[in-house]
Amino acid sequence: MKKKKSLSILKYFFMIIVSFISIFPFLWMIISATNDAREITAVKLTFGTHLVENLRNLFHSDLNFGASLGYSTFIAVITTVLALLISSVAGYGFEIFRSKARDRVFNILLLSMMVPFCALMIPLYRMFGAVGKTGLTGIGLNTLISVIAPYVCTAFLIFFFRQNTKSFPKDILEAARIDGLNETRIFFHMYMPVMKSSYAAGAIITFMSSWNNYLWPLVALQDPQKRTVPLILSAMGSSYTPDYGMIMAGIVIATLPTGFLFFMMQKQFVAGMIGSVK
Amino acid sequence: MKTKSIAASFLSAAMLLGMTACSGGGANSASDTAPAAGNSQAVSSSAAKDAAEKLTVWAWDDTFNVKAANEAKAAYAKIDPNVKVDVVSMAQNDIVAKLNTAFESGNVDGMPNIVLIEDYRIKNYLKSYPGVLSDLSDVTTPDKFMDYKLKTMTQDGKIYGVPFDSGVSCVFYRTDLIEKAGFKQSDMQNLTWDKYIEIGKAVKAKTGKAMISVDPSDLGLIRMMMQSAGKWYVNSDGKADIANNAALKEAVTIYKKMQQEGITITASGWDAGVAAVNESKVATSVNGCWYASSIKKAADQSGKWAIAEFPKMSNVSGSVNSSNLGGASWYVIDKVAGRDTAKDFLSKTFASDTGLLDSLCKDISLVSTYKDASSGKNVNAPDAFFNNQKIYKNWIDWTVNIPAVNYGTSTYDVESKMTEAVQSILKGASIDDTLKNAQTEVEGIVSAAD
Repeated sequence: MKKKKSLSILKYFFMIIVSFISIFPFLWMIISATNDAREITAVKLTFGTHLVENLRNLFHSDLNFGASLGYSTFIAVITTVLALLISSVAGYGFEIFRSKARDRVFNILLLSMMVPFCALMIPLYRMFGAVGKTGLTGIGLNTLISVIAPYVCTAFLIFFFRQNTKSFPKDILEAARIDGLNETRIFFHMYMPVMKSSYAAGAIITFMSSWNNYLWPLVALQDPQKRTVPLILSAMGSSYTPDYGMIMAGIVIATLPTGFLFFMMQKQFVAGMIGSVK
Repeated sequence: MKTKSIAASFLSAAMLLGMTACSGGGANSASDTAPAAGNSQAVSSSAAKDAAEKLTVWAWDDTFNVKAANEAKAAYAKIDPNVKVDVVSMAQNDIVAKLNTAFESGNVDGMPNIVLIEDYRIKNYLKSYPGVLSDLSDVTTPDKFMDYKLKTMTQDGKIYGVPFDSGVSCVFYRTDLIEKAGFKQSDMQNLTWDKYIEIGKAVKAKTGKAMISVDPSDLGLIRMMMQSAGKWYVNSDGKADIANNAALKEAVTIYKKMQQEGITITASGWDAGVAAVNESKVATSVNGCWYASSIKKAADQSGKWAIAEFPKMSNVSGSVNSSNLGGASWYVIDKVAGRDTAKDFLSKTFASDTGLLDSLCKDISLVSTYKDASSGKNVNAPDAFFNNQKIYKNWIDWTVNIPAVNYGTSTYDVESKMTEAVQSILKGASIDDTLKNAQTEVEGIVSAAD
């Protein structure tokens, strides 16, 4: 009995340390948002009185932070919706429909995950540049499509949906087919509702990576009016004497959407990541 | 079944991490790669002939060079009101990543007409992407600007940029602490590093404060010492110059001696260095003139600061009391529509307008490398924070003496190699052997960039 108790104290002690390590950067970020630049460089760890001032500087700077929030939200939402739709259809297809080449194609797809984005960046840039020159200016560089298109179908998400489809009860499928439902309707009316939690997990992952995406929007978007939140934050940090208070306030705001989305869908996210079906 | 699905989720999480890790590192590797591959791509050449009504300018500091570009814009609006100038503020690393992608792919759509590029980086663009930047020999008059600055942007006898700011080095020092240590301001003139260390030891003994803060990841101090003797990591032909570089060896020796004598404190990273100064932990800072804005952040220290010339190395022949750290210049991207308007803009603002340069001295503390700027009203005004010293005039006078060096193509890549070498020397490795090994590695870096 005594041994059990000391073990659990040890366990809690360990967990407290780990949670402190994970939470500390966030805490520091929030504290910093209330201090001015000089207090931050002097590592002040208590709440200050500059929050309102920092927020005012943030929204009144020439960099137009407010507009970038709207722009980032738009890109992230469209990317997430398209990515979930396309990748889940693909993942579903890979698992449900059998063919000889299926696994070979799937392995090649997985291999594409090994290619780092940096290696694809210049070819992508040239490709979008060339498309823009043909007169299809709506999909060339510096457009929304150029930022969204490369991310609407990722090997990771297809893999994720295929993996989760493995636990999708195939009996439902058989029953639906016997009842005369066509394949499209099976997907939308049977598969989608059952896989709710996988969609939730996929949504969080995609939204987060799109919201935080930096390198590709940086090179693809040239119009300063079209900058996303990470690009604005980066521009703010670049001056020789950066206003860290303002930047920290910006980072707090930039963290809110993903944080909010996660806490809203936390339960489904966990369920989705371990592939359970309700 | 359950373990399997848990394993799968871990696997997916690991892959996700891998993906984000890659995209995070991308910015660096993109800016590091610069092979001369794709400069011959077809770029719409007719575009350059169109007389553009709109110019775009990229720069990176809202409180400094972006503000300068905006003032130039206002000045140019009086000369030619038909041209709309758009000044865009962007992080310097972001500008570098965008330029690299565009130049490498040969597609300059969306690139600005005018861009600010750091002097340490420009040789790489001139060598790797010939023809991408416009020849500005007809805009920048050589005898109007200081030599050391022009040398950074000259390739095959042609001048490709319009100089912007000087990074002239100096010793910022706390007069109160130096006096407490028993020295006068006159002792700070014509300094040598030996004298500097001697004063540092007295400061440490009498006030308990360090003389200077050092950042293990930044060799700015060593770079300044080298340039004060007209040397760099590469020689005038751009070849690695490490093992037999007497100035580098002496600079490393001085750097090590300062730490052995206990007159330094370690401040890792830029902000820690600024904090050390603002919180009175150090008596001096040896830096480029632009560092004044960071020092001035501590308003309570007003009147306690002064500046002195950069210390020279007494054991190295040719070392003078003047050097440089950083600095940038304006460039025109040749194939972007509106080239001639862009050249006209630069020639009527940064390349000739002494009135503009003088008001920039007041508004952003600009130390110009334009020779005639030295007679300006603001340049000759005293600065209250620095105890009414005429700091701008001093800086401009010292800029004249900065030895010209060839920065080569890969200062930052060489620097990261040298940081390791210097750290191992500080830990006790032999200077000669370490520099000899570094020579081979730096040769590799430099030849990869050529």
